[in-house]
Amino acid sequence: MIANAAWDRAIGMLPDRMAAHLGVSAAAVGLALLIAVPVVLVMAGRPRLRAAVLTAAGVVQTVPALALLALFYPLLLALSALTERLAGFGVPALGFLPSMLALTLYALLPLLRGGADGLASVPPATLDAADGIGMTRGQRLLHVELPMAAPIIIGGLRTAAVWTIGAATLATTVGQKSLGDLIFAGLQLEDWALVVTGCLAAAALAIITDMALWRVETGIAARKWRKAGLGGALLAAMVAAVLALWWNARPPETAERPVVVGAKSFGEQYILAELIASRLREQGLAVTVRSGLGSAVAFRALTAGDIDLYVDYSGTLWSNALGRTDVAPRASMIATLRTELPRRHKVQVAAVLGFENAYALAMQRTDAERLGIASLADLARQSDRLRLATDTEFQSREEWAALQRAYGLRFARLTAYTPTLMVRALIGGEADVMTAFSSDGRIAADDLTLLTDPAGALPSYDAMLLIGPTRPDLARRLQALEGRIAVEAMRQANWQVDRATDKRTPEQAARWLAGRIAEK
Amino acid sequence: MAVTLEYERINISRGGRPVLVDIDLVLPAGGLVALTGASGAGKTTLLRITNRLLAPDSGRLLIDGADAANEPGPQLRRRIGYAAQGVGLFPHWTVGDNIAAVPWLNGMERQGRDRLVLEMLDLVELPQSFASRMPAALSGGQASRVGLARALAARPGLLLLDEPFAALDPETRNELADRIEALHKAQGLTTLLVTHDLADALTRATRILVLDGGRLVADATPAALVADPHPAVQALIASPLDQARRLVRLTE
Ligand SMILES: Nc1ncnc2c1ncn2[C@@H]1O[C@H](COP(=O)(O)OP(=O)(O)OP(=O)(O)O)[C@@H](O)[C@H]1O
Ligand SMILES: [Mg+2]
Repeated sequence: MIANAAWDRAIGMLPDRMAAHLGVSAAAVGLALLIAVPVVLVMAGRPRLRAAVLTAAGVVQTVPALALLALFYPLLLALSALTERLAGFGVPALGFLPSMLALTLYALLPLLRGGADGLASVPPATLDAADGIGMTRGQRLLHVELPMAAPIIIGGLRTAAVWTIGAATLATTVGQKSLGDLIFAGLQLEDWALVVTGCLAAAALAIITDMALWRVETGIAARKWRKAGLGGALLAAMVAAVLALWWNARPPETAERPVVVGAKSFGEQYILAELIASRLREQGLAVTVRSGLGSAVAFRALTAGDIDLYVDYSGTLWSNALGRTDVAPRASMIATLRTELPRRHKVQVAAVLGFENAYALAMQRTDAERLGIASLADLARQSDRLRLATDTEFQSREEWAALQRAYGLRFARLTAYTPTLMVRALIGGEADVMTAFSSDGRIAADDLTLLTDPAGALPSYDAMLLIGPTRPDLARRLQALEGRIAVEAMRQANWQVDRATDKRTPEQAARWLAGRIAEK
Repeated sequence: MAVTLEYERINISRGGRPVLVDIDLVLPAGGLVALTGASGAGKTTLLRITNRLLAPDSGRLLIDGADAANEPGPQLRRRIGYAAQGVGLFPHWTVGDNIAAVPWLNGMERQGRDRLVLEMLDLVELPQSFASRMPAALSGGQASRVGLARALAARPGLLLLDEPFAALDPETRNELADRIEALHKAQGLTTLLVTHDLADALTRATRILVLDGGRLVADATPAALVADPHPAVQALIASPLDQARRLVRLTE
């Protein structure tokens, strides 16, 4: 069963996230309304334009919301660079703005369709009568068309609101606080209390909004103004309740903008972010953690100043930040990054933490000893009799091609699994070798051996603490972490949050890890 | 005050095809004029030109000697009673609000409108309690009467009725026609009444206009019309005449 502490933690996260979630959803629907109203009015009585606009909005709808959100980030970065040059100030590219804009696009289709269908539903004889008795265009719209179309228009608004509240959970990936924070963190950490709480809260917001608007819709349709007003009141009450919750739970005022520590969306990143945050807090700084960032978003968020620091890995930076496709030895990779990152991106390397999170091949220790395999070279001699289990992306990655080139690996069978099933396949004897990450907690827990890479075919992934251009002073405060986290310690900390029983929160694992660092 | 209408060589095309061709016509004040012709002949179009819902491509319309094009459309239309084809009551307004629509547009006070609504309901012979009903709760004949009341509420000098009897049973339609005839006389109106049915036109109007393919093919008193040799007019008269003869034979 899920421990009470886990529920308490999940519920503690709610007020803040719920207020942010509602805020970004309401802003998106509001902006979409501002756009949709004039567009609908222009479309009325122009069937060709109407078809073109609705088709365009329909195309936007087919783009997955996650991709739409991710697309807005580079777009805003480019825009920010432009405004910086032209007007001397940038626009924020992470968080509220991209989320709101992407969600606005998403909300547009049901609003446009509701508006267009609503106006088209007014019978021609009624319009003729309105013109015939001497109403002006404006009077006809205000007193005849809009009231008659209102139920269908509000139907569109209902759909837009429910979709937006649902899709807003994805805003977490571009650094906007939302109920998605709970869901993403919970899925990564297999903390079901977080997932369930996040989902229920999002569903509750959507259902209450839908019910309230349904009352408004049916109230207007039946001309029962009390019922319509009740719907509006319900909506207002929900907003007020969420705001009150948020106000009570808000952190105390600080004059300075807090330091923002970024984290990608997996356990190790959550732990390291908490570790760094607590170090900075001990030095008297105000700190917040922005976790769940998409892998592609994190580095750009750092250079753009949306986050101040985070941990990334040398192999990733090598290809993504420096655009290199070659493989270099571990030490020269780090040296190059230390000189090139400040020069090209104004990003400093405060510390190389001392462990790697690299792709590797792993075997059960007993098997490896029995077969006499310690390195990839040993493995190559027997690989045609062995079966390899990989994660879903490994077979399409450059690392796999490099391994085949360097060692001539040919396996008897090659099967792709989800990470959890992959481990089960190895332990259950359905596979002999599997792909692994070198800092994975399961390596110690499941008694696995990582095979060495004598040819240096696999790129190294050293964890590096990066400091962005906004707070260069942080480098000095954290440089003591250089080389202090051993891979065994990181594995154990990861295992504490990954394991199914006796799970720890990332904060608890970070505290344990801090203790290990102090001992050294 | 009844209104004089003068149409001067009016032409209009819709969708690339001529719908009215060279309409030249003077309707003196006080006439009850029936406008008839086959479906698609241009009757509604001529009515809509009369209250400027449509502007002719060429030609002029003079209302009491003044060019209708010189007055803003909405203002002009508030002085002309109009009952659209298909009635078109506002479903979200009460019967009373529908009837008082034009006075309301003209800024009349609530109390004045309430009094007017009751008077109009009397005029079209509907119970005063109907004022608070919604249009959905009316029969077809009742709706037509409310439409007529709405057209008359601003005390216009000109009344345009587009097939007010469509979809009514013969008895209801006769009652309504009687009502319109009586109101026309009592209110001192010029009335232009579009009807498909020549029998109505022949028995009630002072003058009958026949449109065929957008041209005015006959313009006469009922008696003169029956003698008109134009094939379009003959075709229109043939069927009601035939019906009447068969009815007479049955009663003999
Ligand atoms: N908006 C329009 N676009 C194109 N053609 C039109 C339009 N409105 C009317 N017409 C055409 O003009 C012609 C006359 O139409 P109108 O409505 O005046 O006929 P009508 O005599 O009132 O017929 P009915 O007895 O069926 O009401 C018809 O052929 C019709 O198709
Ligand atoms: Mg017509």
